[in-house]
Amino acid sequence: MRRRLPLLIRAALGLLLAVAGALKLADPSAFATEIANYQLLPAVAPYLAAALPALELVLGVALLIAPRPWRRSAAALALGLFVAFAGAVGSAYFRGINISCGCFGTGGDAITGLTLVRNLVLVAAAALLLVGEGDSQNFTSLKSARNDPGAS
Amino acid sequence: MGMLAATGRAICLLGIGFGLGFSINAFHPRGVHLRSYAAPVACTAAPGGSTAQAGAAALPPVEVLSLAQVASLCGDPRVLVADARSAAAFAEGHVTGAIHLPCASSRLTANAALDALAGKETLVVYGEGTADALPVAEEMRRRADRPGGVRVAVLAGGFSAWSRAGQACSSGPCADCSAVSVHR
Repeated sequence: MRRRLPLLIRAALGLLLAVAGALKLADPSAFATEIANYQLLPAVAPYLAAALPALELVLGVALLIAPRPWRRSAAALALGLFVAFAGAVGSAYFRGINISCGCFGTGGDAITGLTLVRNLVLVAAAALLLVGEGDSQNFTSLKSARNDPGAS
Repeated sequence: MGMLAATGRAICLLGIGFGLGFSINAFHPRGVHLRSYAAPVACTAAPGGSTAQAGAAALPPVEVLSLAQVASLCGDPRVLVADARSAAAFAEGHVTGAIHLPCASSRLTANAALDALAGKETLVVYGEGTADALPVAEEMRRRADRPGGVRVAVLAGGFSAWSRAGQACSSGPCADCSAVSVHR
């Protein structure tokens, strides 16, 4: 099971990004409104609305089917995306702005503490994936090194 | 070297994502207008907007209250009064205790108005006349949709009629307007 953990995380994050990107691609105008609702960078909202969904889709597909070197780069970008999303959601939550998350396109639930926790879990998962997709180290080698300190 | 290659691949993925995104947006029937995009304001979903129409059927209608009816509500802590006129008109004189909530105000202002509406039972919106208060009232009615509901009304005849009638709650220019205004 532990050996499959990296694969599960990669599959879950890949699917999540691909689905979220595809849903947002359905209505870029509505997604721009969702971004503007965060009241963070209203001037760049239309550009983010145009670019982010496809980027999520590309990263999701890359995580699912690309060769390992590309997956690592995709994992790094996914980590950056999730950190940005968590920052935006946290900002809205702590400012008490009553808006929907926009995480999966329009019509989502309002931002709550649970939304923030979910985003932080995604950040942690992406960070874990980035470590696991490393060229020299992965989950298995880390686990082996922990179990057998003498192994090189 | 490995880091450089990884950075190159990341830039490549970004390029593919952004390129694909802007290309799809350009041909998408609901693509966002990059140059002419305007951030949503308080009256984004005013009558005529799809969002307002979708939710309007389930909500109670905006009432039109007479001068006497609104005057009887003045001073009631369960009532919030909102001024939908321009900032200049609001500064010149408004119903005492009214918050400033013009149609073109930002979403932040609309959210502040919603916060001010928390715990209230009635929102009375007035403009220069009756019609110019309706978009704001409709939008606030949609946004304030909550269990128990909020009664949303507009003042018949607006501030001009209110002022002409010399209603008791009408204030002239006042020093503490900023204290009751949520306009930013």
